[in-house]
Amino acid sequence: MLQLNFNQLWRYQDEFLHGMSLTLLLTLVATLAGLAIGLAGAAAAGSRFAALRLFVRSYVEVIRNTPALIQLFLIFFVLPYAGLRLPPVYAAAAALSIYMGAYASEIIRGGLASIPRSQIEAGQCLGLTRWQVFRHVILPPALRNIYPSITSQIVLLLLGTSLASQVSAPELFHAAAFVESRTFRSFEVYAVVCAIYFTLVLAFRLAFAGIGRIAFRWPTGR
Amino acid sequence: MALVEIRNVHKSFGEVEVLRGIDLAVEKGEIVTIIGRSGSGKSTLLRCINGLEQINGGEILVAGERVHSRSTDLRKLREHVGIVFQQFNLFPHMTVARNITLAPVLTGRVAKGDAARELALKVLAQVGLEEKIDAYPGQLSGGQQQRVAIARCLAMSPYLMLFDEVTSALDPELVGEVLKVMEDLATQGMTMILVTHEMNFARNVASKLVFMHAGMVHEEGRPADLFANPATPELANFISSVR
Repeated sequence: MLQLNFNQLWRYQDEFLHGMSLTLLLTLVATLAGLAIGLAGAAAAGSRFAALRLFVRSYVEVIRNTPALIQLFLIFFVLPYAGLRLPPVYAAAAALSIYMGAYASEIIRGGLASIPRSQIEAGQCLGLTRWQVFRHVILPPALRNIYPSITSQIVLLLLGTSLASQVSAPELFHAAAFVESRTFRSFEVYAVVCAIYFTLVLAFRLAFAGIGRIAFRWPTGR
Repeated sequence: MALVEIRNVHKSFGEVEVLRGIDLAVEKGEIVTIIGRSGSGKSTLLRCINGLEQINGGEILVAGERVHSRSTDLRKLREHVGIVFQQFNLFPHMTVARNITLAPVLTGRVAKGDAARELALKVLAQVGLEEKIDAYPGQLSGGQQQRVAIARCLAMSPYLMLFDEVTSALDPELVGEVLKVMEDLATQGMTMILVTHEMNFARNVASKLVFMHAGMVHEEGRPADLFANPATPELANFISSVR
């Protein structure tokens, strides 16, 4: 019969905490970098230059249709042959950013496209510049439209940071493997780690819901 | 020179020629209504006047400026030419006050804050909606939204206002309140060009009536004359069909 014993795990508090902070750091970096890539990608997708559109299209399709783990391996194991040797954490941050960027591109592109042409015309007809129309007329409702998808993508990213353990970046999942190898309490270790991920995601979702409620207060529908 | 001069304007969408040589002059203070069957090019013509549509031939001058010339600052021109759309096109994420003051503030006509709010109140008074200053468009009826859209234009103190079927999307009982606002504007001397199906407005308020047919100005003149004695069978048919 299975005897549960969590006592031994207490000694490894620091490992879990460090792992958790790297998990959060990777999530933060990849979110910010991914959103920046996504914004640029969405802009490029609407570009006049066919080559640029093709490039973004290929990037988005390649990233979304291949396993993120392989993307990470390419960066960590293959790039060194091209002379670029990244430490594990940097490789993970880069891979996750590129991964997030592809999804963000699609989400942001869709969000911008969801703003009716007539709204843009109304802005232009009031004598606003292109930038003013984008900033004041297109962006706020587009943000609201993309908010649900982009926030759930961030949650998926948070869970996806566990892939970084495969190139030995010491994030939460890696910490779990380490503690397990020392204690042989696999069930307890992964139960704890699972609970931590669950709590983090729950906190993220609550925060996103709260932010959304404050940021998007105007009534929808006409 | 007239405030708006439209000279031999041609416009095609692909193979279809929608405007086939339009000539029209609108003097300052005139109220011109453009009527005609759907597909006759009325809305397209209106959208050409503030450069929302490109033209394929001819020219349009507004206050002496060639709208479709590359050297014209279209953005600057639009600060002075208001347009009200069929679907209101208010910004759903802004309050009524912000909808109205966005452009005046961004173009530097009025300072943010109290001055801007005062401006909003002033133009809202003109459309009878001061109490809705802090509402969102989504909380207003169609008629109220359209009146706010008119106020939004007025806040830029335009010298010309274009109205593109502004009552067509409204429930019948809400049409009157919008027409009333437009009549008030007309009495105050605003230069207005309207595309409309409101024959009573065309007959009683307009100073000039333009009947468009097949991409051309088929007849134009004083509304009373045209309604009483249409010169062509096309206008006669149109008048009897909308009665």
